[in-house]
Amino acid sequence: MACRQKQCTSGARAAVLLAGLSLLAAPQVSAQDILIPMDARQSNHLKAYGVAYWALQRNVPVEWLLNYRGGSFLLEQIAELEDELAIRGVHYERLNGAQAARIIADVESERANTSLVRLETPPRIAVYAPKQTLPWDDAVLLALAYAEVPYEMIYDDDVLGGRLSEYDWLHLHHEDFTGQYGKFYQYRNMPWYIEQQRQAEEAARRHGYRKVSALKLSVAREIRHYVFEGGFLFAMCSGTDTVDIALAAHATDIVPDIYDGDPVDPGAIDKLDYAESFAFMGFRPSFNASEYEHSDIDAGPPPQQLQSPALDYFTLFEFSAKWDPVPTMLTQNHVATIKGFVGQTTAFRKQFVKPSAVLLAESAGREEVKYLHGPFGQGTFTYYAGHDPEDYQHYVGDPPTDLNLHKNSPGYRLILNNILFPAAKKKKQKT
Amino acid sequence: MAQAQDETEVDPALRARLQLADLYARAAQYDRAIPLLEDLYHTAPELRAIQQKLQQAYEAVKRYDDVIALLDRTLKQAPSPEMRAEKARLVYLKGDEQAAFALWEAVLESAPFEEYTYRILYNSLIQVRLLHRAADVLTRGRAHVGNPQLFQIELAYLYTLIGNHSGAMEEYLALLEHGESQLNYVRNQLSRSLKQEGALDASIATVERHIRDAPNHRSYHHLLAWLYMEAGRYREALRETRIIDQMNPDKGAVLFNFARRAAEAAAYDIALEAFDELLTRDPDSPLAAEAQLGLVDMHLLWAETTQERSFGANGTRLAAPHQEAALEAFREFLRRFPHHDRYAEILHRMGRLQQDVFHNLDEAAAIYSDVIRTHADTEAASRARFDLGRIAIARGRLEEARGIFAGLVRTMRLGAIAEEARYQQALIHFYRGELDIAAAHLSDLDENTSTDTANDAIALRIVILENRGPDSLHTPLRMFARASLFLRRHQSKHAIAIMDTLISQYGGHPIADDARFLRAQALRTAGSTQEALVAFGELPLVYPDSPFCDQSLFLVAEILDVDLGDHARAVEVYTHLLVQYPGSPLAAATRLRIRTLRGDGV
Repeated sequence: MACRQKQCTSGARAAVLLAGLSLLAAPQVSAQDILIPMDARQSNHLKAYGVAYWALQRNVPVEWLLNYRGGSFLLEQIAELEDELAIRGVHYERLNGAQAARIIADVESERANTSLVRLETPPRIAVYAPKQTLPWDDAVLLALAYAEVPYEMIYDDDVLGGRLSEYDWLHLHHEDFTGQYGKFYQYRNMPWYIEQQRQAEEAARRHGYRKVSALKLSVAREIRHYVFEGGFLFAMCSGTDTVDIALAAHATDIVPDIYDGDPVDPGAIDKLDYAESFAFMGFRPSFNASEYEHSDIDAGPPPQQLQSPALDYFTLFEFSAKWDPVPTMLTQNHVATIKGFVGQTTAFRKQFVKPSAVLLAESAGREEVKYLHGPFGQGTFTYYAGHDPEDYQHYVGDPPTDLNLHKNSPGYRLILNNILFPAAKKKKQKT
Repeated sequence: MAQAQDETEVDPALRARLQLADLYARAAQYDRAIPLLEDLYHTAPELRAIQQKLQQAYEAVKRYDDVIALLDRTLKQAPSPEMRAEKARLVYLKGDEQAAFALWEAVLESAPFEEYTYRILYNSLIQVRLLHRAADVLTRGRAHVGNPQLFQIELAYLYTLIGNHSGAMEEYLALLEHGESQLNYVRNQLSRSLKQEGALDASIATVERHIRDAPNHRSYHHLLAWLYMEAGRYREALRETRIIDQMNPDKGAVLFNFARRAAEAAAYDIALEAFDELLTRDPDSPLAAEAQLGLVDMHLLWAETTQERSFGANGTRLAAPHQEAALEAFREFLRRFPHHDRYAEILHRMGRLQQDVFHNLDEAAAIYSDVIRTHADTEAASRARFDLGRIAIARGRLEEARGIFAGLVRTMRLGAIAEEARYQQALIHFYRGELDIAAAHLSDLDENTSTDTANDAIALRIVILENRGPDSLHTPLRMFARASLFLRRHQSKHAIAIMDTLISQYGGHPIADDARFLRAQALRTAGSTQEALVAFGELPLVYPDSPFCDQSLFLVAEILDVDLGDHARAVEVYTHLLVQYPGSPLAAATRLRIRTLRGDGV
């Protein structure tokens, strides 16, 4: 309430009286460039990605300054950009031409592990998720919705109808491509489970499959083909390992009878074809129908003494920004150590990761990978284990995480790094 | 029993081997279990236990040809519909769907008039999730057996699983045909499936169709009313509730329960109608008093929802139908239920309505006095005393008000009312210009910062401490206090006049920005919207470092937005606020308002 500097000049007062309120919206001091820092100064990291996407939608290129202040964005000043940043609560800094040039020179300098990637086209994003409301939230949908990044939801009919080719980017979350309905058998009498099963069975019938597992395998193979042809796949939680398990089990039946009416193929293990999967090999599916686990790929929650949001962390690897721009983009963050979180798939056992995959983050001291990436054909896949980066253990029926309370979430940043990566203009590799 | 006999008669060695095979099978070691079981079967083919174990083992490793052959041998000796249906299932699993269907059909044709035939087929078919076919079989069974009430629960279950919600509802209605005893069961079953896509609409349409044919079926109306409520179709639910009530009057209980549910769902208009109807139709109902209070609450909630105001910006009286109806409903309650447990509380609430909504201080004071006189030792009486103090302030009788609040503090000592009374005492001292006394009172109040009163006390104490001087009488602060009292007494013009003097004489005083803000508020209260707009707008320009800058801009935008309907300019000002004051506590509300006005849907 204390008033501090006081009375301004009579000229200012006159201006108010003359111009009324139009002065309030007077144009800002002109600046040539806008820097959206992504370090600790950023007020809303997640919305910052949305603004970058917003700019791309308006044909404004975005320079992604890898490893510079947490992976900042540099944009040319355009009308409405500052308003949009203010409205979305994203911190930014105005730069004049000299300041911007100096930053670019620093980033391009050989001395620093930084690099500049130009983003030009907003990627078309599809999220593979059923329209049916399920009693758990989907971190990918939450992140995209909060960041205000447009996406389309697609599901089995769309994938089998050939619609994947319409998108640059496919996101998966808590899905089960093995046709075991998430192994939620204990919930079999719940309305959502019944509806999920009914819709899956109907879709299977519609597409000429007797079993849901056959339908899901077909979807998984379409996804595999999409990536092979140059698509980008990002998956979380059980969307990661189940797509690999389903692909590897294409020639056998790994589904217990309570899910599909007939028993597991006794020779299933010998018939697994790991060449088909994206990231994992040598794993064994779980044939225990009541075990909430699809295979031994998942390392499960950390040891009891570490099962706490205060103690469970994972660490991002650092890559050469100039030589490995893709892993660098995927690991941009304002911190190097990130709070752990569990899910149906919590972490990948390192022993089952194919050598072709690049490890992006691991749980220190444990042979577990939290985040990995790899090329596949012309495209790439990125797997991020765990369910919700800001809800240590998300139970069925829990309310969705309110990202307004986690605007600076490093864990959610990793999801959003993935949306911009396909917008990057391919640079000629240095030889 | 036959099986039990078989097992008791086997020799111990054979039994031991069977147990070993069973252990292998349980451990999923079928490569060991099967040879052992095959050997046992050749030794004693007549033993059912061995056959069953071998059958299960073959099936577990998908050796469908072997298990079918085994079944065929058994079928030759003792054919039964169960085994034939089992064979059909195994043939289906083997992948020969047409042959399986033919086998199931043959089972049906073997005993088409027996209920158990259909039950066997139903169990066999649902094991392989052939749900449509299972439903078809049961429907045919009902016709062949000639009993339309057969398989109602099974069919309702199957129809739910396959998403045939109107079919499921047909079965549930058939269950209800002979009475209401199954109503809770049906509602319980339906509650699991109504969230499925199209379930609610299909269910409603089915019940509506049945009611057209059987309009006097009470349980159908019950079900339909419940479905309408689930669908948020409250008016139609009320229509059904009326019908139920008329069919079997129960002193208004049905209408009352409905009204409460509608009120919980914020369907105030419908709840109001239901309470009103109960009172009209059954004025002597034991629920009449609660219904009368329901009327009060619904009118007040409705008024709040529609932001009904009984006075315009310039103090002119406006029509306020819901607030007036609430007042009338209060009066009716007090007239009809003078011995009700909540009489004093309701009387006090009516006084508050008179005071705070209708600004009818005389009427409110009379009511409060009545509460104190007739219910002296109740909490309502304490609250009434407190409100009499507020009335005294509103009338400018500060000494009288001080006495009332002092009396309350003395008698109550602790609790929310005592705390509020202490704050009011401090305010009175502030209005009178007794600044040190006011500050001393306030410092006693600001310890428990979790209460609104403590926060108000802290804010007022800061005003007093930071805006003293320049003379020993602290004239500008005293002027500000007087203006605050006028504003509280709805005497905006006096408040504005004092603020104008203060600003012109003490423009450089620390309280000048507070004064400008208060003046702008008074202008808005007085209905001088344009002047208020300019007054709020100039504050950030004149005092760019004032803590009122963001609030002032927000109010400029709000006036443009709400009072003047100029949404485009409102967005400009809201945006300007965000750009200039990104750390403002109003930023979140400002962003939300911009998003709403832009139609961002965020």
